[in-house]
Amino acid sequence: MSLLINKAQETAGKPVVLEDLVLTTAMPTTGGSKMLDGYMSLFDAEVVAKLEAAGYGIAGKANIGEFGFDLMGETSYFGACENEAGALVSAASQLLSASEAQAVVGLDVNGVQRRAAAQAGQVCVKPTYGTVSRFGTIAVVCSGEAVCVSANTAAEAQDVLSAIAGHDDKDGTSLPQAVCEKVKTPAELAHKKIALAKSLTAAADEAVKSCIDAFVAFAQDAGFTVEEIDDALLVAARPAWNVLMSSELCNNVSRFDGVKYGYRSANAETIDDLYTNSRTEAFGELLKNTILFGSEMLSEENYMPRYDKSLRMRRVVVEEFARLFGEYDAVLMPACSKMAYTPAEVAADKFLCFKENMFTAPASIAGLPAVVAGGVQLVGPAFSDAALLALAGQFDAASKTPVACEASEEVR
Amino acid sequence: MRYETVIGLEVHVELATDSKIFCSCANRSGDEQNSHVCPACCGMPGMLPVTNKRAVDLGMTAGMMLNCHINRTTTFDKKSYYYPDLPGSYQTTQWFSPVAVNGTVRIETENGPKDIRVKQIHMEEDAGKLVHDTLSNTTLVDFNRTSVPLIEIVSQPDLSSADEVVAYLERLRSLLRFAKVSECRMELGTMRCDVNLSIRPEGSDKLGVRTEMKNMNSISAIRRAIAYEVDRHIDAIENGTEELVQETRRWDDEKGMSFAMRNKETAGDYRYFPDPNVMPIVIDDEWYGRIQGTLPPFPEVKKQQLIDQGLTEYDADLLTQSRVLCDCYDAAFAASGLAKECANWIATNCLSILKKNGQTMDDLEIDGDRLGQLVKLVGDGVVSNANAKKILEVMFEEDVDPKAYAEANDMIVSNDTDAVMDVIRGIVAANEKDANDFRGGNEKAINPLFGKCMKELKGNCAPQQLREMLIACIMEG
Amino acid sequence: MNKEILVRLEKLNQLRLTEEQEAETLAFFAEREADMAIVDAVDTQEVERMVHVMPLENVLREDRAIEPFEREALQAGAPAAEDGYWQVPRTVD
Repeated sequence: MSLLINKAQETAGKPVVLEDLVLTTAMPTTGGSKMLDGYMSLFDAEVVAKLEAAGYGIAGKANIGEFGFDLMGETSYFGACENEAGALVSAASQLLSASEAQAVVGLDVNGVQRRAAAQAGQVCVKPTYGTVSRFGTIAVVCSGEAVCVSANTAAEAQDVLSAIAGHDDKDGTSLPQAVCEKVKTPAELAHKKIALAKSLTAAADEAVKSCIDAFVAFAQDAGFTVEEIDDALLVAARPAWNVLMSSELCNNVSRFDGVKYGYRSANAETIDDLYTNSRTEAFGELLKNTILFGSEMLSEENYMPRYDKSLRMRRVVVEEFARLFGEYDAVLMPACSKMAYTPAEVAADKFLCFKENMFTAPASIAGLPAVVAGGVQLVGPAFSDAALLALAGQFDAASKTPVACEASEEVR
Repeated sequence: MRYETVIGLEVHVELATDSKIFCSCANRSGDEQNSHVCPACCGMPGMLPVTNKRAVDLGMTAGMMLNCHINRTTTFDKKSYYYPDLPGSYQTTQWFSPVAVNGTVRIETENGPKDIRVKQIHMEEDAGKLVHDTLSNTTLVDFNRTSVPLIEIVSQPDLSSADEVVAYLERLRSLLRFAKVSECRMELGTMRCDVNLSIRPEGSDKLGVRTEMKNMNSISAIRRAIAYEVDRHIDAIENGTEELVQETRRWDDEKGMSFAMRNKETAGDYRYFPDPNVMPIVIDDEWYGRIQGTLPPFPEVKKQQLIDQGLTEYDADLLTQSRVLCDCYDAAFAASGLAKECANWIATNCLSILKKNGQTMDDLEIDGDRLGQLVKLVGDGVVSNANAKKILEVMFEEDVDPKAYAEANDMIVSNDTDAVMDVIRGIVAANEKDANDFRGGNEKAINPLFGKCMKELKGNCAPQQLREMLIACIMEG
Repeated sequence: MNKEILVRLEKLNQLRLTEEQEAETLAFFAEREADMAIVDAVDTQEVERMVHVMPLENVLREDRAIEPFEREALQAGAPAAEDGYWQVPRTVD
């Protein structure tokens, strides 16, 4: 269906498309939800200002799933996007494939951009938490989401990342400027070793595994040692992330209540009717499930065994990554289990995004940079964004592995 | 059976900052609806909270004034519920690690001093205001107050009567006003109080069913509400008029009754969790020491100091009701050395100008040092009292040097007695009738002569001296 | 997790599910609950909770008020506004 929810009248500069969780004054920002259909922000996201200052122009807004946490945009109020082969695709990756934009800037809430880039043979970087301002993005999972960049090449992704990274006083989680600068220039990958996440890789299908194999071959050629590691603690990130994500989401979307802006039900005789009918009518089913689950995880009964436990699990994952980065430059893993999702599959299992995110949750819960290229994902230590992009870029350019290309041909 | 009352208070105090706690809108009440609002305090997506440092300073100050332990790491949490005055459908507050805990407030009771324990003080953002429009049967929402910084002072259930509650509130008010934490004006809502109340048979250590009462906006309303609620509880227990349940009730001062609220807020499941957008606040020794250094003496200590300087109990009491007045007095006294005179100028002349301008004592902005100079000019007989009052009025408008102003405006008392005597002779000669009446024993007859002299002299004469010279002139003539 | 809790949760979150959706939601909860087994298997007793991944502290701003936003602009997208107020059905308290 619709790729671009809104298109700019004219674009000055190199065209960049924004996913629709990024607020703009020039065009509505919907978050993919009926709740915000036609919503006009009174201010631009900080990344918009930074992009424009760097000579980019906002070409339009790309459709996304409702509040950006689904599998592949299937929950958008404006309709899901499919390619000619009938696979679900993200609007952003379709626009990049059609060269409508040099890059897409979005909010990586639950890994959809990384999955989309892996499946389309594109590059995506979810930067180190705190290096790109979240000011002006519709908040969903504040503790782990990051403004991300997708592009056809690693170099283009790096250019845009360099343009948007930097301190912002308006975001209380924004890191100091000197620290943000680090994501602009690659540091040396000193260990010359890459860890291969064993069970995450085993959870993917052959097409994905062949991308991993190709990367292993490339890395070895480039002088890296690749070692398989026990990734049990990284696998355990997903359920903890699902708890944190759902609870934060529940809280963040509670502001959408039909009072101040956005959708208000016609049946609003009492204040409770206003709230309940507006939210019931404007929110999709996956969102409702997630709100209810997230709410329950914060109940008095569940707070300690579930929410607090998940916050502790976050530290376990962070420390596990830190331990690995004492020895390895990056952890290699898939970004998704397969190279295409069909609408039928998603219809049969509406909660796939809470399972497929096993590949994206480790970097999300730990706030670490993750780069997807050539169908694989590299997770590195904080501020290794540029180094990961450089390595991924070499891989992408040098190999364009036959399997990855085939896979993306197939879904087109 | 005799009963005893067990009361704990939750007191909300709006902090005297210039801006709100998580956004930069002005913290100002009384202005037109929704005139100090931005996307953040209207619950719009995309804004992120950045904490106001002054609010934290004042939270710490309050904690120190109430003898609390200050938590060196203090954090903010989100509390969720739906209500139209809460634009984000959550309130940012402190649940897990409040700024201050375990304090005491000493009050005077008829049985002597009593320490009321303070469980904690936490910082949070205020909610907006709702106006009920009866004409359209709708509720109108004003977000000016949304995100104004508050502290909530939670006492232990140590209070046992309305008198003690009032003494506690007045003590809090005095301490917090003196430390410039807040103006604590109940009538403006900058100090609000929820009363948690239960009763039990005298001597029992088992707590009865507790109700929470909201919406009292004066000390007298609190007294009435407590009396009503105690009666209601006793009635329920003794006569079975109703079954007491733990609930939140709203006090209706007009009706003189409390009513159970069916507010969303009473639902109770607030789903607190740490706010990922607000980083922890870590108070190091330097910060702690800096705030400690700004603490005023306790008001009663300051009051005794003022009495020792020679002030009356009344003046000392008045000045210590407001840090602004007290600071102004201290500066004025330092500049003049005239304790009583300075107190008098503030208590009468300054306050009457404030009153005329519709302002309160905390609005006093004149420079205390210059006020002291002015008082000294009067004391030294350089400027007359009447002219000094005129200069004071000018000082309220602009920051002028009193001596320079007096010189520039011909307000210096003349030392030239010959010249003064010339003026007096002229006036007496021109008003023979009044002079004769005075000579004839009508003492009041001097008044018009005195007024005419003063006017001719532009007030630049010490009244007593003028009076003496005038009498001398009349009698010799 | 059961239907009763779910109904309470719906009320708490101002949502209303159909019977069919409720069944789906219960299945969703069951799936998430089952997922937690691998987290529960990790001993975190000695682990401190981690709210923020970056060790920032004291992110504070000076107490300075700025010009307010224009009320008309803020209320341009309001479903109902009256005399400069947002408007909702009469609340009962």
